[in-house]
Amino acid sequence: MRIVVDLLQALLLILVAPLVRGVVARLKARLQNRRGASVWRPYSDLLKLFRKEELVPPTSSAVFRIAPVVLFAAVVCVTAFVPVVRSSALIDWQGDFFVLVYVLALGRFFLSLGALDGGSAFGGMGASREALVSSLAEAPFLLGLTAIAILASRADIVGIVAWTLKQDFFNISTVHLLAFGALAMVALAETGRMPVDNPTTHLELTMIHEGMVLEYSGPSLALIEWASAIKLHLVIALLIAFFVPWGMSAGDSWTSLALAVLFYALKLAVCAVLLSIIESAVAKLRMYLVPDFLGVAAALSALAVIFTIWVKR
Amino acid sequence: MGIWLASKEICDEKSEMQLLSIKTGFVFLLASLGLVAPIALLVSHAKTVRVVASCLVIASNVVGCFVAVLCFWQQSTAIVDFSRFSPFPLALGIDRLSALFLLLICSVAAPVSIFAVSYFDEHYGEQRRRSMWAFFSLFLSSMVVVVTATTGFAFLIGWELMTLLSAGLILIEGDSAERRHNVFIYLLMMHAGAAAVVASFFLFLPHSHSLDFVAIRTASTGVPAGVKTVILLLAFVGFGTKAGIIPLHLWLPRAHPIAPSPVSALMSGVMLKTAVYGFVRFSFDFLAGSPPWFAYLVLLAGAVSGLLGVLYAIAEHDLKRLLAYHSVENIGIIFLGLGTSLLFLAHRAPLWAALALIAALLHTLNHALFKSLLFLGAGAISRATNTVDLEELGGLQNRMPITGTAFLIGCCSIVGLPLFNGFISEWLTFRSFLAGSVLTGTRAQILLPLMVGVLALIGGLAAACFVKVFGVAFLGRSRSAEAEHAVEVPPSMQVAMIFLATICLFIGILPGFLLRPLVSLVQLLIPSAGVPEETLSIGQVIPWTAATVVGISAVVALFKRRERLTRTWACGLPGLSSRMQYTSTGFSKPIRYVFARVYRPDRKVEQRPGDQPYFPVSISYRSVRTTSYEKALYRPFVELIVSLAHRVRRLQTGNIQIYLLYIFLALVLLLAFLRFRP
Repeated sequence: MRIVVDLLQALLLILVAPLVRGVVARLKARLQNRRGASVWRPYSDLLKLFRKEELVPPTSSAVFRIAPVVLFAAVVCVTAFVPVVRSSALIDWQGDFFVLVYVLALGRFFLSLGALDGGSAFGGMGASREALVSSLAEAPFLLGLTAIAILASRADIVGIVAWTLKQDFFNISTVHLLAFGALAMVALAETGRMPVDNPTTHLELTMIHEGMVLEYSGPSLALIEWASAIKLHLVIALLIAFFVPWGMSAGDSWTSLALAVLFYALKLAVCAVLLSIIESAVAKLRMYLVPDFLGVAAALSALAVIFTIWVKR
Repeated sequence: MGIWLASKEICDEKSEMQLLSIKTGFVFLLASLGLVAPIALLVSHAKTVRVVASCLVIASNVVGCFVAVLCFWQQSTAIVDFSRFSPFPLALGIDRLSALFLLLICSVAAPVSIFAVSYFDEHYGEQRRRSMWAFFSLFLSSMVVVVTATTGFAFLIGWELMTLLSAGLILIEGDSAERRHNVFIYLLMMHAGAAAVVASFFLFLPHSHSLDFVAIRTASTGVPAGVKTVILLLAFVGFGTKAGIIPLHLWLPRAHPIAPSPVSALMSGVMLKTAVYGFVRFSFDFLAGSPPWFAYLVLLAGAVSGLLGVLYAIAEHDLKRLLAYHSVENIGIIFLGLGTSLLFLAHRAPLWAALALIAALLHTLNHALFKSLLFLGAGAISRATNTVDLEELGGLQNRMPITGTAFLIGCCSIVGLPLFNGFISEWLTFRSFLAGSVLTGTRAQILLPLMVGVLALIGGLAAACFVKVFGVAFLGRSRSAEAEHAVEVPPSMQVAMIFLATICLFIGILPGFLLRPLVSLVQLLIPSAGVPEETLSIGQVIPWTAATVVGISAVVALFKRRERLTRTWACGLPGLSSRMQYTSTGFSKPIRYVFARVYRPDRKVEQRPGDQPYFPVSISYRSVRTTSYEKALYRPFVELIVSLAHRVRRLQTGNIQIYLLYIFLALVLLLAFLRFRP
């Protein structure tokens, strides 16, 4: 029973991911006074791409073909770490959040290599910028997680979530606020959202992620797009689980699980609205302001770690 | 051979047979590396002798691996005493700590020697090949002596030989003014470091009355705190110089790149680790911990070396220099682990101290494996293209698929990505940082968790650096004719790299088999430590994570696709050239721009103006990283030594009467001393 629920949670993260993307795109369109495409559009895009043939540059090597596969596998593997509707996960052990961050890094590493294998300037540009952003994002990401782990005196994601569930929402600590600020900023950077990267751009001056995937087509592109959708959903789910887990089911009864799914859908919708507002309201940062943005995130997360001393007492 | 085998073994229940085989194997290893192979090579000029000797080197390393494995997994302890043959007590022994480092040396040296067979054959004539092999074999034996010494005398002999022989190997490779200068700096710094090591040994003497390790260990409780502090500091400086801790790293990026690739692999992969061994021996085994401030010092040195090492590495485009700077970075990570362990020990948290020490020791082994793999990869690249400048490479993956794949595994390992061995040790380090929050009421309570951020930044920058290395060297289009016509290296070189890559993957996916003996080793060093739960859990979870990632990849990869080869879109231009790709320098520009304060580049732009103001005939651009802090740190020392040397020179007039006077005065002084001695 437990394993089934955990498996369903992971599948939920994987299968609903394109919908989240579609909803955000639709909301953004509405905010910009456009009609926007259907929220199911990402699914049909994926289907279309999976059916197409793939164009491969003749100078590229096996790395070009493997990269999307590794990226997808890494992101899917990470879904097994995150509790969604129930405070449990397929993989749960002390110290697993370090693994989560590094498995994501594995996917990113290979995608950057794939970008360089295309042999064009765009891939190099995207990979070089991604290298800067991701190398600076890792520290605040881990420090933010460390802060809440210290607060909960647990080193596993499920344990932290279970601890947070027992706390009173209105008694939330400074550490949580600081860590939330840091992790939300990192989440924008990790998923390639405004103001760090523009997911809809096709202009070489502004693109990071889009530059890396420019040479990909067909099923490979579908895998990359799906993986980045899952990553977006996953990061949102992680923020929800760490900072507003209330409503998660504690037991295995169907009613409580159904209620938890409902709560989750609500929270997800709120996050989608917030994300689309941020993306519509904020301009993309100049490339060399991104380190400042991430520097603020790092400072917040470091403060969060320092504040644990007083809060934990 | 007539070597007397002492039966001082402290073996409990294991059979005599096993002990005997360990001793025989160990003596065989020493004899063939230190005596038979080099003497045969230096005496005989026959080609067959050289071939047999190189086979002997490989075989003895394989035997050494077995000996180390037996001692490491089976808890056997063997001591071989050579004191009869020397005026000083000279004994070698293998306890568990030595066994770990013996395993490290032999498991790296075996594939490196296999690689060296073809490498030396192609690069040198018969004469140099012979001396290369002789020095190579002696160099290996000196490192074995260092990690197995059980007396200070044996340790120091090995330590000194190791420095001299590696310098010899660099000088056999070639000779130029610049090379001599670099080797001079190497020798100078090594001897300054060695002086500190000698001093820290001798400070034990008044209390232990001998340099035997057992005597030092038992006497260490009686050493007063002040002397202990001096010993620790001297050991830190001495071993830190060898390990390449910033700011004592100056020799490292000079000496490693100019050595032949197999030797660089040994220097970076193995020789630096003997310094880690020495430091662990002193601080954990002899002195059983340190005051907290010393632990903070080690931690700080580790953090600085890690961060600056990786930042300097990113700015390099010479592959071997880049790898040398990464050695500084990884030594930094190892010292982060050691510092954390000392800190926990000082605050009486032995369980976490054990975890951090396991992390550091495992990272030591891991770094030896992947760094030598990467240096061998650099050797393979230089054989195929005659250069290790990243700006002239590119597209090698299609031309050298085996080298490329092995090199990629090395890159993933050094970056610390899951499924590869570097991750296991970095994860353990992270975990022990997080545990710092249990030290309530101390500075470590905040400082250790904050180190998570430092290590994460190091890891992120290392990832950026190796995306650059692999992407620029192996992927995309070739940037030069040499890279365009590169061919795969001979099978023996491939075998060496595949072997190392396989071990990296194996440890990365099934770390449990190595962590269990490591736990029992650490329990010897930190007696009150239990078994850290994390060492067991990671051994169980990582295989599952690996299976998930590999399984999903396999399923997705099996999915049938139609493929068509088409040229990369060139924005409407007739075609792309290799010059349109990102270069290594271009790739790292954003990071260098953000961290410009660290590099303080010294830029020089020279223009030769043409007839028209906006069209100069030529522009040259040079950017040199200033090393102002290095100058500020070393200049006073250098000036002091030079001025002292000038003063001392006055004694040396060249006049024989004066020298006779010196001898006479010395004699008188000695006699007076003996007469009036208390």
